[in-house]
Amino acid sequence: MTVAGFVFMGLGAAFVLIGSVGIVRFRDVYSRLQASGVSDNAGLGLILVGAVLHGGWQSHDVALLLLLVLILLTNPIVTHSIARSAFVQQHQEGDED
Amino acid sequence: MQIVELVLLLSVISVLWLLWRGPTPWDRLLAYNSASNRVVVTVCLIAISSREVLLFDVAIGYAALSFLGVVIVSRFLERGGGHR
Repeated sequence: MTVAGFVFMGLGAAFVLIGSVGIVRFRDVYSRLQASGVSDNAGLGLILVGAVLHGGWQSHDVALLLLLVLILLTNPIVTHSIARSAFVQQHQEGDED
Repeated sequence: MQIVELVLLLSVISVLWLLWRGPTPWDRLLAYNSASNRVVVTVCLIAISSREVLLFDVAIGYAALSFLGVVIVSRFLERGGGHR
């Protein structure tokens, strides 16, 4: 169980590292949103699943699962909201110019 | 587990650099969202390794408040951002 937890946490840390490199190095808002939205969900979810698996079943794993559900529900909403806001605003400014 | 915390803190630093540099307000908003998500998971790992059960509630509250703040600021920028 502990080995599985460490494997999951290592995979999640690799996803988070690749995602932060993508966020810093991409040029556009939408490319950054794509890098952030995909890799944050995958990496942080894998790290939280590894933290649940690490050390067997304990009483604080309920909080970790609740936080996992919260992140997996709210992160796509935030990504969609930022992308919609950027698109609407830049579209209007392009029409005025 | 300390290695994972170190990786998360390094990625928080690199994302905060985008928050400082970002050309448009949406870049800064995205960087703030990513940094707060990483800080939430880091707080969870610190809570596990130091056996402080209270920090899980802090992490859940911080995640909910950061989601609310990012969505509100994004709606505000969609309506014109205060300069119109």
